[in-house]
Amino acid sequence: MSKKVYVIIPSFNEAEVIQQTLEDLIPYGYHIVVVDDASTDQTKQVVAQFPVAYLRHKLNLGQGAALQTGISYALKKNAEVLVTFDADGQHTASDIATMIAELDKGSDIVFGTRFLTETRSQVPMLRRGMLHFARYLNFVLTGILLSDAHNGLRVMSRKAATLIQIQENRMAHATEILILVKQHQLKYCEVPVHIRYTDYSLGKGQSIKHSFKVLQDIFLYKIFK
Amino acid sequence: MINFIQILLAAGIIVTGIYSYQRLKSSFIDAILIFLFMAVGLLFVFWPELSNKVAKLLGVGRGADMIFYISIVFFAFLIMKLYARTRKLEQMITKIIRDQALKESENVNRQS
Repeated sequence: MSKKVYVIIPSFNEAEVIQQTLEDLIPYGYHIVVVDDASTDQTKQVVAQFPVAYLRHKLNLGQGAALQTGISYALKKNAEVLVTFDADGQHTASDIATMIAELDKGSDIVFGTRFLTETRSQVPMLRRGMLHFARYLNFVLTGILLSDAHNGLRVMSRKAATLIQIQENRMAHATEILILVKQHQLKYCEVPVHIRYTDYSLGKGQSIKHSFKVLQDIFLYKIFK
Repeated sequence: MINFIQILLAAGIIVTGIYSYQRLKSSFIDAILIFLFMAVGLLFVFWPELSNKVAKLLGVGRGADMIFYISIVFFAFLIMKLYARTRKLEQMITKIIRDQALKESENVNRQS
């Protein structure tokens, strides 16, 4: 590996599926950091089987907080490339290399998207509708229009990672990242990625109530920043 | 001549005042403010016509309405202050948990 690549995986009670996720990632030789957000299941034991870094929050803070902890850790370890990756197997390990290639072309941060190509992913219709609404909402709030409102697969350069200090602990972090990208005028681009929908991950999906909470959080964020 | 509601409100104001002072372990300025609020509150409770006079000065029809409007603004301000404090606390907690997680990672990990 010519560059130090750190893959940050925030995780809350994903012991069932994280094993497969790690098995898929290991062959690529990236440095992997699992941030356990106070899981109450066997996550720690499952992760212990693999040569990956394991960090644990004593209390559950949220995915945004877990990501930031992982980012802080990776930066301390002199990471040059930082990847955010979901624990539940939605993301495809092979997409990471494609996204890193975009960093080399000059982008500071690369966002994975499930929408730029039709053939690759089977997005359920209601989810698709909600995501489209969310991306326009994000545009109003952040000034950035992406094709995918909430995709956990991102690749960023060290420079971008140092500038992106996530303060939103819960689900509003995705929107906060966009706000920070705009604020620091980072160069961004989108790359189509493969999203695997299993019964498990579909069951977890974001509800409308969730979206309103994010809206509320971003509103408060803007006032109290 | 004294209504029951006046007794009720007066009791409420006095109890709230005393409780706030004790609970907040208030500074001198807070004590003054609490006393002032209590005094004005009791004044308006026992001489409601006073509130009407003040209201007319401010351009509001009724004393009760004026008190209502002012209360809304006051409570909104109070809530914002409380929320800002809560937010700050949450950030402090996050920092503690994060620092501990990073510190313990040094003990736990075999590979970087």
